[in-house]
Amino acid sequence: MSELTLTLKKELIVPIDASIISPTNLAGKTVGEIENLELWRGNRKVKLNEVFHVEGKSEDEEENLIVRLIGDFSKARGLGFKMKKGTLIIDGNTGLRLGEKMKGGLIKVNGNAGSWLGSEMSGGTIEVEGGAGDFVGAGYRGGKEGMRGGKIVIKGKCGAEAGAWMSNGVIKIYGDSGIFPGMHMKGGTIFIKGNCEGRAGAEMKDGKIVILGHLPSVLPSFDIEEIRASVKVEEEKISGPFYLFTGDINEEGIGKLYVSVDSNSQLKFWEKFLESVI
Amino acid sequence: MSEILIKNGFVFDPLNNINGEKMDIAIKSGKIVEKVSSKAKVIDASHMIVMPGGVDIHSHIAGSKVNSGRVLRPEDHVKDYEVKTKVTRSGVGYSVPSTFTTGYRYAKMGYTTVFEPATPPLKTRHTHEELRDTPIIDKGCFPLLGNNWFIMEYLKEGKLEECAAYVSWLLNAVKGYAIKIVNPGGTEAWGWGKGISHLDEEVPYFNVTPREIVRWLCKINNILNLPHPIHIHTNNLGKPGNYVTTIETMDAVKDLSKNGKVSIHITHVQFNGFAGTSWLNLASGAPEIANYINKNTHVEIDIGQVIFSDTTTMTADGPFQYILYLLSREKWVNADVEAETGAGIVPFRYKKSNYVNAIQWGIGLELALLIKDPWKVHMTTDHPNGGPFTHYPKVIAWLMSKKARERIINKINKNAKRRLDLPGIDREYTPYEIAIITRAATAKSLGLKNKGHLGTGADADIAIYDLDYEKLNPSEDYKLIKKAFKQAAYTIKNGEIVAKNGEIVASPKGKIYWVNSKVSDDIQKVMLENLKTKFEEYYTVKMENYIINESYLHDSFMLNVQSEV
Amino acid sequence: MEKTIYNVVCTVCGCCCDDLEVKVKDGKIIDVKNACAVSLSKFQNYSNEERIVKPMIKENGEFKEYSFDEAIEKASKILAEAEYPLIYGLSLTSTEAVGKAVELAEVLGGVIDNTTSVCHGPSLIGVHDIGVVTCTLGEVKNRADLIIYWASNPVFSHPRHLARYTVFSKGKFRKERKERKLVVVDVRKTATAKLADMFIQVAPNQDYELLSALRMAVKGEEIYLDEVAGVPTSKIEELADLMISCEFGILFFGLGLTMSLGKSRNIDAALSLVRDLNERTKFLIMPMRGHYNVTGANEVIAWQTGYPFAVDFTQGYPRYNPGETTTIEILTRGECDAALIIGSDPAAHFPVSAVKHLMKIPVITVDPHKNATTLISTIVIPTAITGIESGGTIYRMDGVPLECKKLVEPPLGVKSDEEILTEILTNVKKFKE
Repeated sequence: MSELTLTLKKELIVPIDASIISPTNLAGKTVGEIENLELWRGNRKVKLNEVFHVEGKSEDEEENLIVRLIGDFSKARGLGFKMKKGTLIIDGNTGLRLGEKMKGGLIKVNGNAGSWLGSEMSGGTIEVEGGAGDFVGAGYRGGKEGMRGGKIVIKGKCGAEAGAWMSNGVIKIYGDSGIFPGMHMKGGTIFIKGNCEGRAGAEMKDGKIVILGHLPSVLPSFDIEEIRASVKVEEEKISGPFYLFTGDINEEGIGKLYVSVDSNSQLKFWEKFLESVI
Repeated sequence: MSEILIKNGFVFDPLNNINGEKMDIAIKSGKIVEKVSSKAKVIDASHMIVMPGGVDIHSHIAGSKVNSGRVLRPEDHVKDYEVKTKVTRSGVGYSVPSTFTTGYRYAKMGYTTVFEPATPPLKTRHTHEELRDTPIIDKGCFPLLGNNWFIMEYLKEGKLEECAAYVSWLLNAVKGYAIKIVNPGGTEAWGWGKGISHLDEEVPYFNVTPREIVRWLCKINNILNLPHPIHIHTNNLGKPGNYVTTIETMDAVKDLSKNGKVSIHITHVQFNGFAGTSWLNLASGAPEIANYINKNTHVEIDIGQVIFSDTTTMTADGPFQYILYLLSREKWVNADVEAETGAGIVPFRYKKSNYVNAIQWGIGLELALLIKDPWKVHMTTDHPNGGPFTHYPKVIAWLMSKKARERIINKINKNAKRRLDLPGIDREYTPYEIAIITRAATAKSLGLKNKGHLGTGADADIAIYDLDYEKLNPSEDYKLIKKAFKQAAYTIKNGEIVAKNGEIVASPKGKIYWVNSKVSDDIQKVMLENLKTKFEEYYTVKMENYIINESYLHDSFMLNVQSEV
Repeated sequence: MEKTIYNVVCTVCGCCCDDLEVKVKDGKIIDVKNACAVSLSKFQNYSNEERIVKPMIKENGEFKEYSFDEAIEKASKILAEAEYPLIYGLSLTSTEAVGKAVELAEVLGGVIDNTTSVCHGPSLIGVHDIGVVTCTLGEVKNRADLIIYWASNPVFSHPRHLARYTVFSKGKFRKERKERKLVVVDVRKTATAKLADMFIQVAPNQDYELLSALRMAVKGEEIYLDEVAGVPTSKIEELADLMISCEFGILFFGLGLTMSLGKSRNIDAALSLVRDLNERTKFLIMPMRGHYNVTGANEVIAWQTGYPFAVDFTQGYPRYNPGETTTIEILTRGECDAALIIGSDPAAHFPVSAVKHLMKIPVITVDPHKNATTLISTIVIPTAITGIESGGTIYRMDGVPLECKKLVEPPLGVKSDEEILTEILTNVKKFKE
């Protein structure tokens, strides 16, 4: 195992396109070569060493390389872009599109992540100690293709539209989630331990959403199917009981929305429809 | 202006009967001349083919629905972008490229003239704004008239000459080039969410039929002496069995051929060349259509070839586009235009493994190969409906090489392969014939006297392709053919070198061609008096604001055309 | 000498009424016919005390008058040196001017955005995913027997909309008011709602739920709940029936839908609803674009770059991602280092966090009037008012392009947006060499 450390020399003012920073791109290069790599700072191309101190050692085996970033990366966009193997650790906050199109490896954020975390990813794991912005594991505008695989774990809260258009993979949010998690979802699993702002599973076609906390209401385009004692998320069995809703009927969806019974007394009135469901 | 001498190329100039002759082409002040001085810049075209610049008769590159297509598909653009250079603006491509990119990409392929084939008159100002921003190529646009309320009412009242005066006025008002008809009567029925399924079905409220509309506009085209025949996208596009409608439509104006000239251009016939009764037994109607065309002189077509790729369909055939949405459940744009026409846009992917798509792919090629006279055939993909225009080199290769076709035939859906005649067709287009269907015939059909050929006096719009004619064995060398046509060695526009080996080296503005149709003052006056009140009842704009001044076009080429009335 | 100019295109709201008659005497507008109250107000007040007529540069916190050339040169230098410049505004000018701004953004390697991003941006974002089933306004005038205004109050925002295009208009197939039905959906009973045949009061921020229920009803699916978004289910079903049984329906929607909870997904639901309705009858949808050329700005940015707004040229080609490349977010993240504001007042309208950043960077404002943004600017360049003092192409809310006229001369020395941008472009190109 080798570790490369990139420390921000000074506070970023204009944003940088940091998509070159990942074990995939830095493996097999000397520190000197890495320092000479170019990236965009606003509309200027600058050398990496103008923005970072580079220390440590790279190595040829991508999967054994740890790249550690130190500083406030809130204005760094696209870190870990298309990453395949290895480990990327950020000791600080990160900006937009962290882990975009990731294929494998591990990204750890010891701070908060910006919006579009793991956008269009197909493999690998992203772990965030803090919170994340909007569009976790979502897709590009008009593309109708979100996350296709891999795993995102957020210890804090996240914004709106987590898992929009996702077709596979797992998103776990331990804090609260913003509105519209699982928007247009086609598959995969979203697990929300905290509260959800609302409109869970809007226009979903398939997939599974599990909410342990409070969900103010369920969309009128969902059916209540039954009350389940537990639900599986990945291989873990999570105790309920859960209301199981299916929908979104407007999209002829067969997605499953599991909502904790105990945290949602305001949803109790849905039980009276259980008899009328054939 | 500078002089250029293109030396030792193999020249293909069908309009002047030159078939691969090794000769020099001289250019001076933007025109082709007999000879030039010793000061001329010399281009050594040894071992290369020299042709007139490509003339694309039908490609959706500018206007309201094209732009809606751009907005609809940001995901199409991210895949394919162009970084700015010292000479070129940046842009995006793939199936609905931005305007600068459109001009550059055509120029790189050796094309120098392109016509936008479907513009709603009310929104044609938009089309001209986009054409102005499409660099290098000369262009023009065809206003949509086949569902126009005024025309249908003139038709019902039998006022032929007054209607001719109206069409003349409209072409001038919006600076259009030819009469375009899309799903005659059908797009108006779609204004109520309905459709029309045969030539003699009456349009709701207007009570005229598609057959009557087509004949009427054909007569008006004759009266106005317009340079291009009526350009028509027939009824029932995309429906199994529709080849019958296509033949009926061609036949409907057979007697209206003026002085033996072509009386009808049917566009993207592939989409209207379906035999069979359902998607399950869809077959090619190309043999029947080719048979008809081989026996008649009043028809010409462009093929609308399908490319196996992701693309964006966009036409003024609102109801057809809705059906395509229902079949594909893709995103769908619809944009009806008051008193005139409509539009629809649906992204689409043609797959080799899909039976229907494979048959479609076969139909386009069969049309080109079964129609004997290449002067009746124009090569198009109905960009972007069949596929992006950047795939033209593939189509050229398929037409020139049976082997190139076989490579694809062996990969397409097996049932389709069995069903098509294509595998058994040996014909291969010669370079001369390719020059006909991509430049000579199209220029002739459009009445562009100074384009599509290399005779003295012609515009110096020239493409030089890196293909050694002497050594070329097109049947075998289809990969070379594709490569050569993808990236002209030189593209010359108006006597200026604009592209070299796939790089744009100059970006002059092209001209917008439009027809200034002249009718007598008397009939014009009567027509306008009668038009004024109705105009403002039907439209939501004033007549004065509907009219586009010539200066608006920036660089325009006015073609004066005297009518018979 | 007095003259009347006919068929003048109004440059205020998205209606772009083109039947104004303007009387001009001695280079001044003395009367306007056919204009609504809002339009009349513009014609009467455009040259009030807030009018700027000389370029100004801020020195030591005070504005000093400078020549046009000096202001352009200084502005060009600031923009040329910036690493992440932003051009914003552009909805109150011609497409020709916006086209120049796009070219400028490309040369600068900056971001170009227009007011769409705070207005109907969500509508365009909805279109990217769903598409849109729409038409021109004349189709509504001629055919519509059901008109719905949702979260839009045209009596105030687009005063002549009803008379020219909808319920009070006279069309080929609908000649009288009684041949049409008007439905208004809003959070309170607006002036437009008072004219409606049916008014539905939706609970604030619950439009998405209502649209979801309406989609269910249109599809013939049973809604279990008695009430959705504060609207009784029976009423929702009544509206669905009205929509299904009409011959030609149209749904106009406004900022109440784009800017309330859900934003682009509210529009997504509305677009999907209308699309679904086409399986039962003819139904269309249209956003009530506010400014007279916000639509045109989207059109020209789209045909030149592929994307309708929020385009980032920093890497030499167009990139688009609303939320990343849109103005408020860029400002809130504190990312841009120079701004060119054309015909807009972000300092008055943007969130405080965005305005705070705007105050930290050099701002060049091109505007005819003093406003909050000019106050915080480094350089202010006066401009001619499009549609009155300069002409150009504009696009009505339904995409119909019109040419607006120059009626009178601008104040001496004041140029049009297009001319100003052309000058800046020339200067910036020199600096960049």
